[in-house]
Amino acid sequence: MDTPDTVSAKPKGRGPISQILSPIRGRLIVAAALAGCGSMLTLVPLAGIAHIASLALGDSGIVSHEVWWVVIAGIASLCLGMLLISAAELLAHLADNRITYHLRMAIIQRLSRVPLGWFTRRASGEVKQAIQDDINTLHSLTAHFYTTVGRAVGAIVISLVYLFAMDWRMAIVSILPFPGFFLFFTRAMKASERNMQAFVEGMGRIDNAVVEFVNGIPVVKSFGAIGKAHNSYREAIDAFAHAFIGFTRPLVGSMANANAMISPVAVLGTVLAFGTSFVALGWIVPLDVLPFALVTPGLCGPLLLLHYVTHDLNHATGAASRVQALLDTPVLEQPAPGMQLLPMGSEICLEHVGYTYDAGRRGVLDISFALQPGTTTAIVGRSGAGKSTLARLLLRFFDPTQGRITLGGVDLRHIETSTLYRHIGFVLQEVRLIHASVCDNIALGRPSASRQQVEEAARMANIHERILALPRGYDSVVGEDAQFSGGELQRVSIARAVLLDPPVLVLDEATAAADAESEVAIQDALSRFAEGRTLLVIAHRLDTVMHADQIIVLDNGTLHEQGNHAELLARQGLYAHLWALGDYHNCEEPAVSSC
Amino acid sequence: MLKAFIELLGDDAPVFHRYVLMTVSYGLLSGLTLTTLVPVLGYLLAEDVRGAALWLILTLAGMTVCWAWRRRVERAGVAVGVVILQGSRQRIGDHVARLPLGWFTAHNTSHLGHVITQGMMTVAQLPAHVFTPVITGAVTPLVIVVALLALHWPMGLIALLGLPILAVALWLTARLGRRTDQAYHRHFADASQRMVEFAQAQSVLRAFNSEGGSSQLLEQAIERQRQSGLRLIYQSSLSVVLNAWVVQAIFAALMITAALWLNAQLGGTLDTDSVVAVMVALLLTSRYIDPLLDVASYAEILRSACGQLEAVQGIFAVKPLLEPDQPQPPRDGSVELRRVSMRYAPDQPDVLHNVNLRIAPGSMTALIGASGSGKTTLVRLIARFFDANEGCVLVGGVDVRQMSSRQLADHVGQIFQDSYLFLGSIADNIRIGRPDASAAEVLDAAQQAGISELVERLPQGLDTPVGEGGTRLSGGERQRIAIARALIKDAPILLVDEATAALDAENQLVIAEVLAGLRGRRTVVVIAHQLSTVSMADQIVVLDKGRIVEQGEPGALLANAGHYAHFLDQRRTAKGWRVGTPLNSERV
Repeated sequence: MDTPDTVSAKPKGRGPISQILSPIRGRLIVAAALAGCGSMLTLVPLAGIAHIASLALGDSGIVSHEVWWVVIAGIASLCLGMLLISAAELLAHLADNRITYHLRMAIIQRLSRVPLGWFTRRASGEVKQAIQDDINTLHSLTAHFYTTVGRAVGAIVISLVYLFAMDWRMAIVSILPFPGFFLFFTRAMKASERNMQAFVEGMGRIDNAVVEFVNGIPVVKSFGAIGKAHNSYREAIDAFAHAFIGFTRPLVGSMANANAMISPVAVLGTVLAFGTSFVALGWIVPLDVLPFALVTPGLCGPLLLLHYVTHDLNHATGAASRVQALLDTPVLEQPAPGMQLLPMGSEICLEHVGYTYDAGRRGVLDISFALQPGTTTAIVGRSGAGKSTLARLLLRFFDPTQGRITLGGVDLRHIETSTLYRHIGFVLQEVRLIHASVCDNIALGRPSASRQQVEEAARMANIHERILALPRGYDSVVGEDAQFSGGELQRVSIARAVLLDPPVLVLDEATAAADAESEVAIQDALSRFAEGRTLLVIAHRLDTVMHADQIIVLDNGTLHEQGNHAELLARQGLYAHLWALGDYHNCEEPAVSSC
Repeated sequence: MLKAFIELLGDDAPVFHRYVLMTVSYGLLSGLTLTTLVPVLGYLLAEDVRGAALWLILTLAGMTVCWAWRRRVERAGVAVGVVILQGSRQRIGDHVARLPLGWFTAHNTSHLGHVITQGMMTVAQLPAHVFTPVITGAVTPLVIVVALLALHWPMGLIALLGLPILAVALWLTARLGRRTDQAYHRHFADASQRMVEFAQAQSVLRAFNSEGGSSQLLEQAIERQRQSGLRLIYQSSLSVVLNAWVVQAIFAALMITAALWLNAQLGGTLDTDSVVAVMVALLLTSRYIDPLLDVASYAEILRSACGQLEAVQGIFAVKPLLEPDQPQPPRDGSVELRRVSMRYAPDQPDVLHNVNLRIAPGSMTALIGASGSGKTTLVRLIARFFDANEGCVLVGGVDVRQMSSRQLADHVGQIFQDSYLFLGSIADNIRIGRPDASAAEVLDAAQQAGISELVERLPQGLDTPVGEGGTRLSGGERQRIAIARALIKDAPILLVDEATAALDAENQLVIAEVLAGLRGRRTVVVIAHQLSTVSMADQIVVLDKGRIVEQGEPGALLANAGHYAHFLDQRRTAKGWRVGTPLNSERV
């Protein structure tokens, strides 16, 4: 038998778990030791009973106060033992509370610095699952595993010492069921390990089937074809159930044997059978059987609990490696302190910029152009041509794989992120407000802004009146008493950018989802905001940007054409083709009926 | 909790009943076998080895039966687990398949996925790992109490009284823990929500992080979660301690009683039989206490499993749309709303209020109005995403509630924003609209939906896999495949949400062409955004705050100079907008 400390310091799969738990290892060991001592003390009353019996039935005769002393000592030890166990549990839980908090914070700090592309490749649910659910799974490890091991080992050690001290022959035969338990137990564990891979794969398959089922129901329902999708869900469920049966079948038999082996009935039966035989053989006196009958069955409880927590351990190992992987996510290179450079001016240059997505999908290739301060540049092209990729590179959602982008002569990689975003603001198609008051949402980039400044920004964005009409005005909470339409959301996000007052603005001509009323308000707000700034517009409709100083035509990730509207039309190339396709002939003169 | 569990099992409940019965009898059997140690030990301590050996045979026989029975209990427990992993998951699937389309919000579907996968896994492990020890631990002491009563009635009485006292303590601590537990779950959910927001709004959070406070809200939420986690720890530690102490107090009381009994014996002549009885009673006491301690230690595990069961109960509580006993097929391509009112929750205002609308077969109706005016709700009512609170919706002259969902789905096609693609090829996804469509028909639909260019570009053409959820394609491309899917279905009525479906210029063009092609051939109801669409319509319906404020043929409405005229004006202004020129210079 191991001592509590060495066992508790070595849970299975030490790699990710020991890495993650290193800050609280000391506490966990103390907790395990406390639990071990506690469980030893709780066994004292049983020894006390045996002692009373030997006094009462022995030859020496018995005195009343001796019985009371034993009872009092037994109960006192019991109380102290319980106290120690409770303290150990509390300690382990507090350590768990601490480590999970720090892990969550560490992951968030880490993720705040990874390339934004990392987030777009993942469902937001996945991020939540890693931070909340996986770390929660670790709970069973930190809060329960160590103390349970401590308790079980403590109880076993003290019982063995006591029993061997009483009679070594009886001790050996009494504990026979326990090696039997471990035999069946390890056999069960081996069987489970053998099938674990297949089982985990089955879990993965069923997860996918469930995702497809729950997300696809609305579609199949609207096509009246629910049966088909439902069938594949049914098949996946049935297949998994069969895999589960296959997985548990070798396990159940061994596990049942293991459990039966150490049930109090079996343990007591063994003790009494051997005890009676030994008495018959004259090796021991009947009284010697009593300690064994009292103490040995008490070993079953801790051992069963041990079984329960080892079961959880497998999950925890998986969770720990996922958490560790998150903590090791590569981050965007940040300039070393002291190495940060301040941009001189706000001219932006793209120099042979290329970006390839992970899957080998090309985003953009060898793009070079400059944004002169105070000018408007439009990026046009078919959908999938790389317009959004280019805008995201400029905002440093990720770094180019080739070439570089400079702001005021400094590579973006050498500018501190907060400095970068003070220079480049953006209004993108996808608007995100956070669950906070409207005021906080507008002041997101400048929490120190006064209410007056926030209101001015809102006025500029044509949304002030709308906010005032909310139940609590600027203090209304988004998603609670502030419900905005798509167009209104966009205006709030414009107000947010206005407050930051960046010299460069990246704009997604993003009004598709807005209703007619909102669209005009948004356009007004954008026009006002864009005045005097360097502007980069991702255009979906060519007519919107026909007056831009410079139009960049992208095709299949490369810069295809460049020039102003008139030049590009004269060239008779892709731009001219798109213009003709777009049916803009009557847009040269606005406000003419197109009906 | 038991109720929720049985509801989850549905028709398979007998499997569970059988398991419970077996476990209870296992507990009784264990208890009875344990009581045989009274005579064995009694004879042994009285130095009658022969008597002890005779009784021992009974003990060993009981032991063997217990062993065999235990294996069966274990299998029965696994059988319950399998029923949950199979039958209950199927039952949840069957149930949600009948829920109204309106139920499938992003939040509900992600929650549902979680319940079906992890939730059911947790619940399935309950019988084998938790119920068996708890039931055994509760039944065995009952038998021992009887034996104790026979041996020494005061100790038996204390043991008997101990059981209800422990039950009360368990109940009390469970109640005490509930509020802290709820508070913790609330904070946990809040923090989870913040994390989703953190991931979704990362670009915004980062770009507006100039003063370093972007993850502040999330950090605060995690801090609150930690605080309430701390409270939960103290609370549940207290519960565990309290429960264990109650058990140990019973033990102490029994020991003291035994000591008193022994002392009484010591006063008189020392009667070996009585002393042996005391000893045996004390031994029984320890067999009575141990299982109770087990029960107390599982209380917390049981309580947290309740959460999973409640989540399932919540899903089962959602009422499916009622299917008619005798479904009537729709007769034509008309749509009619009669005095329809709709609100999403009883305490919310009407989204639609007393709406009457008739749409003739083969006509095209354009719905316009500000966001929040009820356009989307109106269209969704036609597709029976949910049922109206008042009035009725008729499709093809038949109340939608009188049709089977299949009949309605066959009759009504939709082009909405939701363009989820299934694992499979582009062609597979288009064929969802009509499984028996020929290759030529699929190609034709693809052409109409403007994906022929995409298909030509891809080496595998229509057989190109789309990736899970269509992740390998751009949003616009996914949307166009969804359009092809709706077109190949060729239903008599087509519902279109132009504002959400027209993701980019290409999609706008596709939709305009689709609408022009269907005009006069199919009934089309469109939430209109483009001027060209509005001008094509046979009927314009202007909605404002859930009511129809204008309705009629476009030309006539324009002459009215009302809402419709204003809408046109706004659209034209918007269309004339130019970036990069001084403000208002082009606005006339």
